[in-house]
Amino acid sequence: MLEGLFGNIIIEKILFFLSVYGEGYPLGIARVFGVPVNRIQQQLKRLENGGIVASRLVGNVRLYTFNPRFPFLKELKELVARAYEFVPKKEKEIYYRIRKRPRRPGKPL
Amino acid sequence: MRIKRKSISIKELAAIVSNKLNESGIDAILVGGACVSIYTKNKYLSSDIDFVSAASIKEISPVLLDLGFERKSSRHFEKKDCPFFIEFVSPPAALGSEPVKETNVLKTRLGDIILLTPTDSVKDRLAAYYHWNDPQALEQAMLIARSQKISLREVKRWSEKEGHKEKYNAFVNMLKRRK
Repeated sequence: MLEGLFGNIIIEKILFFLSVYGEGYPLGIARVFGVPVNRIQQQLKRLENGGIVASRLVGNVRLYTFNPRFPFLKELKELVARAYEFVPKKEKEIYYRIRKRPRRPGKPL
Repeated sequence: MRIKRKSISIKELAAIVSNKLNESGIDAILVGGACVSIYTKNKYLSSDIDFVSAASIKEISPVLLDLGFERKSSRHFEKKDCPFFIEFVSPPAALGSEPVKETNVLKTRLGDIILLTPTDSVKDRLAAYYHWNDPQALEQAMLIARSQKISLREVKRWSEKEGHKEKYNAFVNMLKRRK
């Protein structure tokens, strides 16, 4: 969908992921999409260098979000959200409906 | 020019780098914590010297290498025995969702530094406070506001546009309390 614009499909997946979930870490994103973590890390680094995403360490995990200081963030989010409307329902159910609300440790999933 | 002194100041180094970039036909604006150090006469000392330039890193790299710096990551340069890192932040030069419209030129014996105006430097620091809740950035914004003449009316307009009226009010109240 936006692959032509962003140059590769991984960037598109990362942007959809951040648009839906708000934040993510490389291994988590890689597991959701079933792609090697180094490909996700590589593209996150590219996005971070461009000022589009920002990261911070939470414990040992580097957590990525959209960079709120990116001057075209509003427009980018609108574009990503508009493109997301065209993601097939089945794909949305697989990749973009992961449980994010808290769950006490020990409780069965 | 080679940088030899370990005790070089942030202002001196920023001037040397700016001058060298300018000689190579590269425009760069000094932003971030280095502006705070300069405007507050080192009441806050940044270890980062951040520039924004429309030139590519490929064009910038030889200039920094010539000054004795090494490229350590895609946008970041270091030099052994130099206390400061130099980074070229991804363009455009922006303050939240607005472009930087005006810059300040600081003349030094080592060359001119093009940098954010004191008012824009306050906005730049407040952006970090607004978006990241960073207390250090708030403190830096206050230091500039107390050291330099700034337009609070302009900071207020920008803050409201960014959607952070409440945090702007908190900043102004803290500023009044400390005066």
